[in-house]
Amino acid sequence: MFLELSQIKRAFGEGESRVEVLKGIDLKIEKGEFCVLLGPSGSGKSTLLNIIGGIDTADSGYISINGEKTADMNEKALTRYRRKHLGYIFQMYNLIPNLNIKENVEVGAYLSDSPLEVDELLKTLGLYEHRHKLPNQLSGGQQQRTAIGRALVKNPDILLCDEPTGALDYKTSKEILALIDDVHNKYGTTVIMVTHNDAIKNMADRVVKLRDGMIRSDRLNETKLTVDELEW
Amino acid sequence: MRDPLNKRLGKQLREELGKYTIIFLFFVMMIGATSGFIVSDTGMIDAYNESFEKYSIEDGNLEFMLKPEDSVLEDIEKDGGIKLYENYYKDEETDSFDSTLRIYGERSEIDRLCIWEGELPSAKNDIALDRLYAKNHSLKPGSSFQVSGRTLNVCGIVAFTDYSALYESPTDLMFDNDMFGVGAMTDEGFEAFNDDHLHYSYSWMYDKSPANDSEAQDMSEELVKTVSEKAMLQNFIPAYSNQAIHFAGNDLHNDRTSMLTFLYITMVILAFIFVVTTESTIAKEASVIGTLRASGYTKLEMIRHYMKLPMYTLLAASVVGNVIGYTLLEKYMAAAYLGSYSLTTYEVSFNADAFLLTTVIPFVIMFVINLTALARKLSLSPLKFLRRDLSRGQKKKAFRLNTGIGIMTRFRLRIFFQNIPGYIVIIFGIILGYSILFFGLMFEPMLDNFKEETLNNMIADNIYVLRMPVETDDQNAEKAAMLSLETTFEKYKAEDVSVYGIADDSKFVKIDHGKGVSISTAMMNKYGLEKGDRLKLTEKYSDKDYEFTITGSYDYPASIAIFMDLDSFCETFELDDGYFNIYFSDDKLEDIDERLIMSRITEEDMTKTSRQMTRSMGSIMNVFKWFGVAMFVMVIYLLAKLIIEKNAQSISMTKILGYYDREINGLYVHTTTIVALLSMLCTLPLVDFLIGAIFKMVFMNYSGYFAYETDLTVMLKCLIIGIVSYSLVAFVLNRSVKKIPLAEALKNAE
Repeated sequence: MFLELSQIKRAFGEGESRVEVLKGIDLKIEKGEFCVLLGPSGSGKSTLLNIIGGIDTADSGYISINGEKTADMNEKALTRYRRKHLGYIFQMYNLIPNLNIKENVEVGAYLSDSPLEVDELLKTLGLYEHRHKLPNQLSGGQQQRTAIGRALVKNPDILLCDEPTGALDYKTSKEILALIDDVHNKYGTTVIMVTHNDAIKNMADRVVKLRDGMIRSDRLNETKLTVDELEW
Repeated sequence: MRDPLNKRLGKQLREELGKYTIIFLFFVMMIGATSGFIVSDTGMIDAYNESFEKYSIEDGNLEFMLKPEDSVLEDIEKDGGIKLYENYYKDEETDSFDSTLRIYGERSEIDRLCIWEGELPSAKNDIALDRLYAKNHSLKPGSSFQVSGRTLNVCGIVAFTDYSALYESPTDLMFDNDMFGVGAMTDEGFEAFNDDHLHYSYSWMYDKSPANDSEAQDMSEELVKTVSEKAMLQNFIPAYSNQAIHFAGNDLHNDRTSMLTFLYITMVILAFIFVVTTESTIAKEASVIGTLRASGYTKLEMIRHYMKLPMYTLLAASVVGNVIGYTLLEKYMAAAYLGSYSLTTYEVSFNADAFLLTTVIPFVIMFVINLTALARKLSLSPLKFLRRDLSRGQKKKAFRLNTGIGIMTRFRLRIFFQNIPGYIVIIFGIILGYSILFFGLMFEPMLDNFKEETLNNMIADNIYVLRMPVETDDQNAEKAAMLSLETTFEKYKAEDVSVYGIADDSKFVKIDHGKGVSISTAMMNKYGLEKGDRLKLTEKYSDKDYEFTITGSYDYPASIAIFMDLDSFCETFELDDGYFNIYFSDDKLEDIDERLIMSRITEEDMTKTSRQMTRSMGSIMNVFKWFGVAMFVMVIYLLAKLIIEKNAQSISMTKILGYYDREINGLYVHTTTIVALLSMLCTLPLVDFLIGAIFKMVFMNYSGYFAYETDLTVMLKCLIIGIVSYSLVAFVLNRSVKKIPLAEALKNAE
């Protein structure tokens, strides 16, 4: 198994205000799989993604990637894990505001031993002519594409996407989803996408539904749709 | 209803407690030191100003070559519109320790004494001594010491109001309260010393006091003519030009100005630090501000909110600073003056001036700078705040950087350009910190160097100035002549110039004068004179002028002097051939009658400037060193930390991407490191230049010359202290970077 989560628990706060966000998550994801974590606000899906991404740590349980448990990793090893294996895409893009578009992507490329060619990637993303602009000079969709470029350029094993279309309009959302799907198909990248948009589940290989910190269903999608076919 | 925004103040304070604590402490330090200084300074200035009337300080003093007849004195008083008071003194050598003690008789009408301790002399061997001189030689009421073979008993410790700075001679560059002192005895005790070293000195008071220095100058110019027509003058010193009377007062005034200037410069820098940090807070809280503005909060309310913490910090620091200033630091500041000057007793009281200068004005500076900057920053529309777009006009464009440069270097350059305003404040902070540090470090080596240069370039171990030509059997002694003229430069006040007539083939002054004169390097450097220039000097107590052509210089770094050959000297000043009035000698001349020697200039006399300056400034220099370092560390730390805080989300994002801490430090801390180190390197020569210019300006008003020389070790020390201080800051900054959580990047998604 490529990615395995076992009995992941996470709570916030103390005493009476303590809230258990994750109540024991077991999940297995195959290499190259496109997995959607679906659930309403407060279901714990983003927390789960952050734990997978090493941004947050579980109170108990473990995550193993290629058989290596992240709990056994020290801080440096955990950084190396993110550096070598993960690409991250956020709802609010999180670009570095004082770097131009190309530089934002290059910041990702710097981390990889075998990065993708930056200019080629920018052309693929439709950003080449905007490469000298600052993020605040671009639309939301263009900024998200830049964030995708930054995540992809280092050719990660796993692409973690946290509501990547949450701040975008319908058309742009579909463009972004198509882009992620292309990457998944072209490079065989494992994609884990958090969303509350029910329609998106139809493009995934695996759909995991969460509610109240627990997995309510975990099923393979037998009837995958293309992005074009998605409607919401 | 109370402003609900006030609830946010506590949170903001907690979040930036470190910053506010450091700024608060710095405010306390600055305001405490300045108020302590102003309070003691004002007390002393008031006492000093009152002393002119209270102790009847003279309008001037003059000395005759010979004892004048009563009729001559009466004529002078009548024609000069003055009243003369006999104020004879004898310069005696102390036997118990090495010093010259100027002894006066009783003073009841003029230049009266202020008693610090004990009482005025009543017995023949009683002496009341100047406070500092007594302190420097561990004498107190009840002590005894030997002077010219007599045992004197100290009966009182006093301040001579005409010697608030112990200048032995008006031509001295610096006062000397160790090797020179003043004392008063009963007339009987005074007369018991022989008359070998008696000076026929008189103090005068005008019948109608001059209104100001300019009038005093006009009146003294008239008076000197009147007096010199009736008697041979040895000395003529109007009070307005008497350093012994005015130096301390001027210094008290000047230091007050310097201290306040320093306070205000620091306040401006601190105000800008607040501006930069508050702007960063505003950027961070843009959406909150946008929401509040959209909800109906006015721009003024927002400005008021963001000004509260800086102003409250200053207010709290003002209270604490003033309390510390009045209680603890006043004594410390006063000690610095009382350790240098023989001031009269003074009292400290609440001082509205000090409050205005050290509290109200800094408050206004801080208020105006913050208000201006915040009004500008908060004038954007609520929508812009909501969109977190705080740029004015068009969106800021990225300028292009050569893509041939590696991404990490470009990243650093972008950080640099993003933070230019902060770096500019850092550079100013470094310049200010360096200036203080430089000032604290430079004096010791400079004084040592000055002393060494002076000693290396002494004409002879002894220069005997004679009252009249007298022969010696010492074959190694060399005859020469000397007299005093005054400079006539329009831009500068007149100062004494020693004119030397040097024998041909002199073994002491080896110089080829040609047809003109050689001038001392001190004079050349002080007045920027060059070979070929014409130099006009004037006789002190007459209108007679002399013009010389400068044909060379002579390495004589401490004195304002010119050198010419002896024959030309006699010809120029219409003296008989073969005239001489000084001996240069490396030996002590034993066969000359003491009464015929006016003075003997030795190593001690030549080095008293550096000795006194070391004593006066030594302890305060350590304060400067530490203050400079504190300034340095504070400015760099606050602004560098701000750069990190401002980029917290980007730093967090780079962590998520998988950058190691050392790589992130390489981006965010090393950029500041490069700026700080380059600034430290590049601003040192500038600071050297600035201090040099200030130094030259200040010393231009002093008699003589004190060369500003920077020792390379001072530069190196500054640099090393700078680097060590910065290393400390960088260490803390690295930890700050490490502490930024990965989840920080997720904050704006909330």
